[in-house]
Amino acid sequence: MALLIIFGIILISILLSSLVKKRSQALGRVAIVASIIELLATLFVFNQVFKNGVYALSSYFLVDYFGIIVMLIIAVIGLVASWYSVGYLEVEMARGFIGYSRVKQFFILLHFFILAMFFAVVTTSPILMWISIEATTLSTAFLISFYSKPSAIEAAWKYLIINSLGLLIGFLGTLLFFHPAIGNPHNGFLTWGWATANVSKFDPHIIRLAFIFILIGYGTKVGLVPMHTWLPDAHSKAPVPISSLLSGVLLNIAFLAILRFKVITDLVVGAAYSQGLLIFLGLISVLVPAFIIFTQKNYKRLLAYSSIEHMGVVALGFGFGGAGAFAAILHMLYHSLTKSLLFLASGNIFLKYGSTKIKNVANVLKTLPGTGILFFIGFLAITGMPPFGIFLTEVSIMVAGIKSYFWVVAVAVLALALIFAGFLRHIAAMMFGGPEKEISLGEVNKNALAPIILLAVILLVLSFYLPNNLKSIITLASLAY
Amino acid sequence: MMFTLSQIIFLLETLIFLAAVFMHLVHKNSSLISLYRVQSFIVCIFIFGSAIVTSSALLMFVGILIFGVKVIVAPYFFTKLIKAYHVKSTSSTYLNGPTTLLVVAVLTGLAHSHYFQPLTTLVGENPDGLLLSLAAILISIFLLINRKGILSQMVGILSLENAIVSFAFLSELEATPNMQIGIIFDLLVWIIIVYIFAGMIHEKFGTLDSTVMNNLKEE
Repeated sequence: MALLIIFGIILISILLSSLVKKRSQALGRVAIVASIIELLATLFVFNQVFKNGVYALSSYFLVDYFGIIVMLIIAVIGLVASWYSVGYLEVEMARGFIGYSRVKQFFILLHFFILAMFFAVVTTSPILMWISIEATTLSTAFLISFYSKPSAIEAAWKYLIINSLGLLIGFLGTLLFFHPAIGNPHNGFLTWGWATANVSKFDPHIIRLAFIFILIGYGTKVGLVPMHTWLPDAHSKAPVPISSLLSGVLLNIAFLAILRFKVITDLVVGAAYSQGLLIFLGLISVLVPAFIIFTQKNYKRLLAYSSIEHMGVVALGFGFGGAGAFAAILHMLYHSLTKSLLFLASGNIFLKYGSTKIKNVANVLKTLPGTGILFFIGFLAITGMPPFGIFLTEVSIMVAGIKSYFWVVAVAVLALALIFAGFLRHIAAMMFGGPEKEISLGEVNKNALAPIILLAVILLVLSFYLPNNLKSIITLASLAY
Repeated sequence: MMFTLSQIIFLLETLIFLAAVFMHLVHKNSSLISLYRVQSFIVCIFIFGSAIVTSSALLMFVGILIFGVKVIVAPYFFTKLIKAYHVKSTSSTYLNGPTTLLVVAVLTGLAHSHYFQPLTTLVGENPDGLLLSLAAILISIFLLINRKGILSQMVGILSLENAIVSFAFLSELEATPNMQIGIIFDLLVWIIIVYIFAGMIHEKFGTLDSTVMNNLKEE
């Protein structure tokens, strides 16, 4: 029932948003109310999963331990992003950058985007999951090109073509995972459960190939190097509420798809195969952004490259396995909260300074005291400084791998140190640098600050105290990896 | 002389493969679209054939949908683009003609190499057809990389999709008709979105050549 409520409320929101005329505030209210209901329904599902292990609407829609963690991320970031959008778009409208029809388009597409993400997580069919992840690409393309600037259109086109290519390769991999069901007339409705129960029928040679296709396909959507080229452009050109969802939520969903296939692959060919591939992609995904972050000139792109790096860390965690997998899931959670916080705070900086170039932003702590402090907290958290959760998860992941993969861990730690240095350099310039031009003091819009404070509070609380039920769900989710 | 079903399927698969190869060679966008139409029509024949063999009305409906989207709607949109923006010739390629053909040959060889041999166990008959469809997949990906035109990139994605569908048909890995409806709906939305984007790109850049899009490099 709770899943039906989630799907139903989003569909109703789309309908209501398309019926609203000339009242942008009403569009925002619909989005916020819908997000609150989605969060409440998700919390109900969370409770059910904690009690019973799974929550099922039917055999084709089921939430498991890992699923509920990702659902929780969608619901929390979805609420914060919707709330933030109200204030952000208000300012953009007041300045004449966008009109009412754009705001309406934004909220309708936002609802579609969130619907597709929820659907991808709760479906038990790999094909339906593929369709919904493809739907996330389609629903966000126009959000990335939202400002209709040449660079935004270019970024959106790149996003569309590279992700479509990647997802088609992922589709080929998905089909190959069906090979034991040749001749079964219902093979399209095969579920993850069916695959796990029939591992003895899988051909190891085909599964090896299929997993590579899956890793390339969904890895493109995750932004793993070398399939990452679209990500910095798309994430930096989208309006910040969308960037926060793309970086903080969508990457996890694509990763979830890889991990679902990893479970089957591990049962057929042994864990070492997928672990080796994940460690390789994880390491280069941490290493390559490290150099780019150091020389970055645009703070939104800086955050986008940081997302690639963190997906690399997550890949390393799952590659190392054991305690690394637990830390990787927790890392996903912390990264989502922190990266969304940073993107939303960067939105306030953009609204104030009118530029995403680091050289054009200075003295943020004085000009935007609230946003400045939040952005600085986000910087400390994202670079893995104690006492924030990412510090704990990065250390745990590295410890999990140090015995078996010493050199991988050594290179990854050096890359993380370089990333910290790069971030520090840019953030110091933005936060403390002298003002280059006269900028009025004070926040642009209170509505654009409160959601970020909420995120910061959640992040701080979860960094110090992980509720037992959440901890136990993460532990149980990590056992499969 | 009668052909066996297996031979007919192999012949059709060869045509899909050749269409993918010729997409690299043609200089007119209208020819590119015609080749895509041929490819799509063959995919429809596969679906219709499967519907007749399994006596599935739903699959027949899927075949009609696929025919509508791939053979009629997509080429219609592409032709509209050609007329609206006067892009009769395909944009240039990154590699010259002989090198392109060489890469196509290498990719075909790769598809037949030992790396992909395990896939032939998926089919009792027509393992060569399956490997040809795999070659068509690789060649379609190469089309996307090698061509500079927006339209070629769009056709490249759709040709890749056709090659994957033919691969799935030959290996009997097709999704159920219900799922195929979902996939074809996704594809239709994709075609409409890229069509709109092509218009936006032309409006902002004055051309459908992807090489002029270099605003992101400046940042």
